[in-house]
Order: sequence, then C-alpha cells, then structure tokens
Amino acid sequence: MLVEMKHITKRYGEVIANDDVSLALEENEILAIVGENGAGKTTIMKILYGLEHPDAGEIFIRGQKVLITSPRAAMAHHIGMVQQHFMLFDTLSAAENIVYQNEIRKGIFFDHKKTNQTVLELSQSYGLPIDPQAIVQQLPIGSQQRVEILKILYQQSQIIIFDEPSAVLTPLEVEELLKTMKQLKAMGKSLILITHKLQEVMDVADRVIVMRQGKVTFESKVTDTNVKELTYHMVKRHLNTRTLKPQNPGEVQLELKHISVYGNSAKKELDDISLCVRSFEIVGIAGVSGNGQSLLARVVSGLLDSDAGELFIKGQNLTHQSVHSIRQAGLSHVPDDRYLWGSAREATLGENALMGFEYRPDFTQKGILKSQKIKHLTNSLIDRYQIKADEWQQKMSQLSGGNAQKLVVGREFEQNSEVLLVNEPTRGIDIGAMEFIHQQLVEKRDNGCAILLISSDLNEIMTLSDRIIVLFEGRINATFVRGEADARQLGLYMVKRYEEIET
Amino acid sequence: MNLSYLTTVANSTLRMMTPVLYVTLAAAVCSKVKILNISMEGVMLISAFFAIVTNWFTHNVFLSIITAIAIGVVVSAVVGFCIIYLKAQPVVVGMACNTMMSGLSIYLLYAIFHTRGVFTDPSLQGIPKINLPFIKDIPVLGQVLYNLTIVDYLAFASAIVLYIFLYKTVLGYRLRAIGINPQAAQSLGTKVERYQFLTVTLSGILSGLGGSLLSMGSVTLFIQNISSGRGYIAMAANNLGRSHPLGALLSSFFFGFCQSLGYILQGTSIKSQITTAIPYVATILALILFTVYGRIQKARRISRLRKEEPRETPASL
Ligand SMILES: Nc1ncnc2c1ncn2[C@@H]1O[C@H](COP(=O)(O)OP(=O)(O)OP(=O)(O)O)[C@@H](O)[C@H]1O
Ligand SMILES: [Mg+2]
Repeated sequence: MLVEMKHITKRYGEVIANDDVSLALEENEILAIVGENGAGKTTIMKILYGLEHPDAGEIFIRGQKVLITSPRAAMAHHIGMVQQHFMLFDTLSAAENIVYQNEIRKGIFFDHKKTNQTVLELSQSYGLPIDPQAIVQQLPIGSQQRVEILKILYQQSQIIIFDEPSAVLTPLEVEELLKTMKQLKAMGKSLILITHKLQEVMDVADRVIVMRQGKVTFESKVTDTNVKELTYHMVKRHLNTRTLKPQNPGEVQLELKHISVYGNSAKKELDDISLCVRSFEIVGIAGVSGNGQSLLARVVSGLLDSDAGELFIKGQNLTHQSVHSIRQAGLSHVPDDRYLWGSAREATLGENALMGFEYRPDFTQKGILKSQKIKHLTNSLIDRYQIKADEWQQKMSQLSGGNAQKLVVGREFEQNSEVLLVNEPTRGIDIGAMEFIHQQLVEKRDNGCAILLISSDLNEIMTLSDRIIVLFEGRINATFVRGEADARQLGLYMVKRYEEIET
Repeated sequence: MNLSYLTTVANSTLRMMTPVLYVTLAAAVCSKVKILNISMEGVMLISAFFAIVTNWFTHNVFLSIITAIAIGVVVSAVVGFCIIYLKAQPVVVGMACNTMMSGLSIYLLYAIFHTRGVFTDPSLQGIPKINLPFIKDIPVLGQVLYNLTIVDYLAFASAIVLYIFLYKTVLGYRLRAIGINPQAAQSLGTKVERYQFLTVTLSGILSGLGGSLLSMGSVTLFIQNISSGRGYIAMAANNLGRSHPLGALLSSFFFGFCQSLGYILQGTSIKSQITTAIPYVATILALILFTVYGRIQKARRISRLRKEEPRETPASL
C-alpha cells in the first residue's frame, strides 16, 4: 500500500469537514474521489499535502508512519498537488514557475539558459508541450494547468493529487488532461483525482470513493460500478434528464451593437459583436476560454467600457454606464470568477448575500441596514440553494468552492430581474446542485426572463440554449439554433475561423 | 545659458537625487515583496538625526554612517514586525512611524543639544567629498561630478546591484515570486512572512544611508524635518519607476532635477514659496502625465485599428 490515511478527523469550529475518514492509495493506480460540495474532499487532500493539519488520525506511506506538517514535508515524500485554484506566478515565465524552490543555479545566479533547457526536456519526456519562456498569464488555462503538472513532475513527485482539474477546462483540454493522467500512470505514478464529472471517473480511474458529509460512504472498483450508481450514492436520489419546452421568444431585452474592445496588442480582443437576447429564450455563448467570453461578460455587466459599439437593455441605451445603472435597468450577473468579481472573501455570508440589494428599501431604513431582514434573506438562500454553511455571519472564505458558487448564483437569481447574464454558473458545483441550477435557469426562461449563458461546458450549452453563438478570437464565428449542431460541429467552430471551414 | 551653468545644474541634480534614490529603492524592494511601506520618511529623518549625534560625540564619519544604517534597520524592523507579524494596517503603521520619528527628533534635539530648529557645529565632520585628481581635470565631467561623496556614488551602485540581485539571482527571483503571488509561494512551502520581514528590515539600510546623506552630505547639520517629504516623494518615484531599481534611478533623477531647479530659481525674482513647491508640484504633474500618457497611447492604437476595414459577421442575428 502506497498511502494510507487512517481515521482522519478535521474540524473547523462546529463543522466537521472530515469525520473519521480512512482511505488508501495503491501503487500505480488512479483513485477518484467524488461527492457533494462541502463533502470534505479538498480538506482530506489538503491534509495529505500538508496544507491543513488533522485533529486526529494518522498517515502511512509504504507502511511507515509519517507526519506531514507542511507542503515542503509532503514534497519530501514525493507528494504533489494541483490545487482547485491555480498557484502560479502570473508574470513569470513557465520555466521560472516550474523550478521554483529547486532552481538551477550558477553560483548565486539564476541560470535561465539551463533552466529553459531542462524544462523543455522535462516537457518533452512527459509529452506535455510547453514553451519554457512563455509568460504564464498569457497562456490559455489548459497550458497553465500543464505548468502546474510539470512543476509537480519536476519535484519528482510519485503521488499526484488533482483537485477538480477539469472544472476550468474546455472539452478538448479535458481530453488532453485525461490522456496525460493515463500516461502518468503508465509511467508508474499514482494519482488521486477529485472531480464532479462522473464520466471522467469512468474514463480514467481504477477505483472510486464517494464522500458525503465528511465521511466515506461508498467505495468500488470503477469496473464494478456505473455513473447512475455513483450519482445515487452522491446525492441519495435519482436525477431526471432535462428537456426544454419550446417557447416563442418575446421582445428583445438585451442587445449589443457592434461592440469592440481593443486590447494592448495590435489585435482587437472583442471584434464587432452584435447580438440580442429576447425574453423567453436562453442564448448560449460557446467557445474555448480566452476567446473573448469574459470580456463580453464584463462589457455587458458594465465592468468594462467598450471602445466601440452600443449596449441596450430593455431598449435603454446603457453604453458607457456604470455597473449600478446597468443593474438598475434590470440585469443580474453571475460572474465567472466567484472570488474576484462575485463575492468578498473576507466578508460574511450575510454581507455577500446583500450585495447589490443594499439600496433596496426592504433592507435599509434611512441608511441603516436591517439585520433581521438580512439574516432572513441569507438563511433563505442557504435553505433554497442547499448551501453548506454554519450560520449567516460566517466568513465567505470558509465555504467550500462549490458552496461559495451557490451563494453567488442564488443571490443573483433571487433578484428576479428580466435580463440575466450567467457566466460559468456551475463551475465546481456537484451534479445535484448543477441540476438544481439548470432547473432554475429553465424556469426563469419559461417565465419570460432573457438569459445570456456563457459556458465552456458544451453539454451545458447544448442542453440549455435556444440559440448558440460560438466565439472565436473575439469574433462571432458561428450561430446555431437549438438542435442544429452537434458537439463535434460546435467544437470545430470553436477552434477554426468560419472562413476556413466553409470554403 | 552657457555650459558651466548646465554643468552646475547637472551637478546639483546628482546631489539632490541621491537621498531620494535611496528611499525610492527602499520603497521598491518592499513593494517587490508586496509590502506597502510608507515609513521611509520617518526612518530617513531619525537616521539623519542619529548620524549627527554620533558625529558630535565621536567626530567619526564612518561610525556616524554606521549609526544611521543601524537606526534605519531597527526602526524598519519594528515597522515590518507590526505590518507582517501583527497584521497591522501598513498605512497606519507607516504614518505612526513618520509622526513619531518627527516628534522624537525634535524632542531629542532639545534634550541632547539644547536647541530648537537647527543644530550645527564647526566640529561636525561631513562625509568626505571625492574629487579624484584625474577626473577633476576632465573638462565637463569633472564639474558634473564635483564634490560628490562616496555615499552618493554608493546610491547609484545600489540601484545597479539591486537590479542584478532582483532579476539575476535565485534569491531575488524568490522575492519577486513572493510579491507576485504570496499564497502560491506559501503553498509551495516558502516562509513568506520571514522573507517579507527581512526585506523590510534590510530596506532600512537604504533609508539609513539616505538619511546620512541628508545630514552629512552637501551640508553637515540637522534641521527639524530635514527629510521634508522625500520619503513621500519616494513613493511617487517608486510608482513612476514601476518598482524597478533602474526605473527608480530615472524617476529620482527627475525629482533631483526638479529640486535643483527650485534652488536655482530661488536666486531669481520668483517667490521662494513657489520655488520650494516645485518638486512637489512636479511629483503630482508627473503622476498625472504618466497616466495620461498611457491613455493617449491606447487612444492612438484604437484610432489606428479603427481605420482598418470593417469586417462582415457571419449570418447576423
Ligand atoms: N478554512 C475553513 N474554515 C471553516 N470551514 C471550512 C474551511 N475550509 C473548509 N471548511 C468547511 O469544511 C467543509 C468541507 O470543505 P471542502 O472544501 O473539503 O469541501 P469539498 O468537498 O472540497 O467541496 P467542493 O466540491 O465544493 O470543493 C465545508 O463545509 C466547508 O464549509
Ligand atoms: Mg473542493
């Protein structure tokens, strides 16, 4: 047995994140951990990686009892972790990121030449292509993740933990990642994969464990189980598949006319985008991330001023207007980065739930906030969206990733506005909660809401959208009506200019 | 305007810029590890004061400079400790330090020298001026470098050494990495706080040297509030220089020039209130111009791109 974690218990105040968890990882296997948001998956892996310390329990590596007090100690035992949120130095090069802590020196100096060469060799030997000199923040997400993986391989880790590695990736990148994982296994490494996507488990893992409320509730060889069974063990109920009732689109609620954004390079980052969303419809924006989706979302929500073009909401011209006036005009916005735009990590759940509502008369009286009302609002969100939280005055940063996302989604959905902009609404969310959010979106549409849905999850786009727009290099590359295109066709328009495809 | 006039301006610019350069470099290394340090004003002031105290008791320039450095390090260490380990607000700590050092220097000036405002004495030793014989005789260069001290030269050297340290050595690379993403560094097992604390503490060497130049450089005396806002100008200079040691060199050159311009114009009929305000007004203007310049560049780029042919969109909605 390579790793054994025995009777691990971890408490955060009242919350028991891990309750007497025991698990084992065998030599040269891929172990998948699945479970609802807040089940304790990240916590148990942070303990193995030395980022958190258990209140009780022991860890054995190859039968030897070990104390892992810090990531450094974990690295010494050849354990590496690709965390849920990337840990990269954005303005340094890929090579500099990879060798951090184990630099190649020439005396006291950093040997850039040899570093670049070593990293190049490393990337070739594992078949993970990367330009050592590329600045990390300019790389697409998939390559950034490759940098993370190479960093761990450079440290000669034998045990590699992946925490929701595919949450931020596009379908093609996910395929690449799964291939990489299989290859690493073939090279003798042992892997642990935390994920919400059960198909990935079926594709790569050897064994799977299900966690629920801090405990391991199910364990099986992958060959002995299936997606349906795993789903049932995760959420303890059966999920139904979703079909969209056809609706007749109503009036135009959101309209973009010739929107362009000029970046720092010579190329336009958003190039002449014209689109509209009517009530009773969901328009999906598909595309490989980094092709203008996030800029588009920022322009529509008012976070970024476009350099050309106009923005209309419910017929009102809102070009160059503030976020506040755009929200007043009737737009709600679920941003893609829940911590950067969506919430304040150090504020309480109550404060986060109130954001955007605070000027409404139900919540203030002569400028004084009504705390009972806020408490009520927060608790109703916690109830409705099944957010795993202690109490309404706890800090946002204490929620697990998926639960934080649910709070942001809930807050924006509860605004009941007529126009909804949702950007990656189910990133990092378990399948039960995902189903709930999808159901909410469809209900809103059926009640006349105009929804612009941006997502790198093609499945999500295809199940929910009445119309699909594919963005590529900041341009509208193709538009489809529901059912007109399959995943393969969409995928093609996501990576090639339409001029090249159609001729 | 003749050549000798220009060389005088150049010479006084160099002498004016070095104290600012020291504190700008101090600000730069602190911001490289993501610590907002605004205490340079106070650190510089109290170092300048203690340099004079040691000078008065020992008449030894070397010991005076060492004292200035030591005081700079100690005060910076306290500031760093409060910010990094006690998690106090950096702006509050910095301001507290600055006001306290200003008060302390006034109090000690009276307690030790029984005087208010200014203290000077013929027995005080200035930092020796270096006028190397062969350079002194080179026509223009000799005048430009006239009467500079070793500590002035050291300022320029520090900028270059810091550049090499930060961008070429392993340790410097680690410091920069911490500044870029402290959490990432932490999760890779770096003791982030220790590195930050050491950086802030050692930045005291630079502020201390800057202080010693104020009280023993061009003139040898201590005046109440002798730093007169240089610590704050350093923050602006650091901003303009983008926290880069060589950027700091350029931006402090600019401030040195404005200051020397102010002094030169004092000899003319322009009111002294206006001439002394020059460096500070220049600071504000420089910061504004800096942003405006960026905007203009962007606007230019956009208008250039706009001229390109508009493109047809596929099957418009
Ligand atoms: N620093 C913390 N302080 C307090 N509570 C915490 C902290 N970190 C995690 N928790 C709580 O511990 C529980 C388990 O969290 P964990 O992050 O392990 O969940 P997870 O299974 O990874 O969920 P997700 O799928 O949403 O990422 C959650 O209820 C969470 O609120
Ligand atoms: Mg997690």
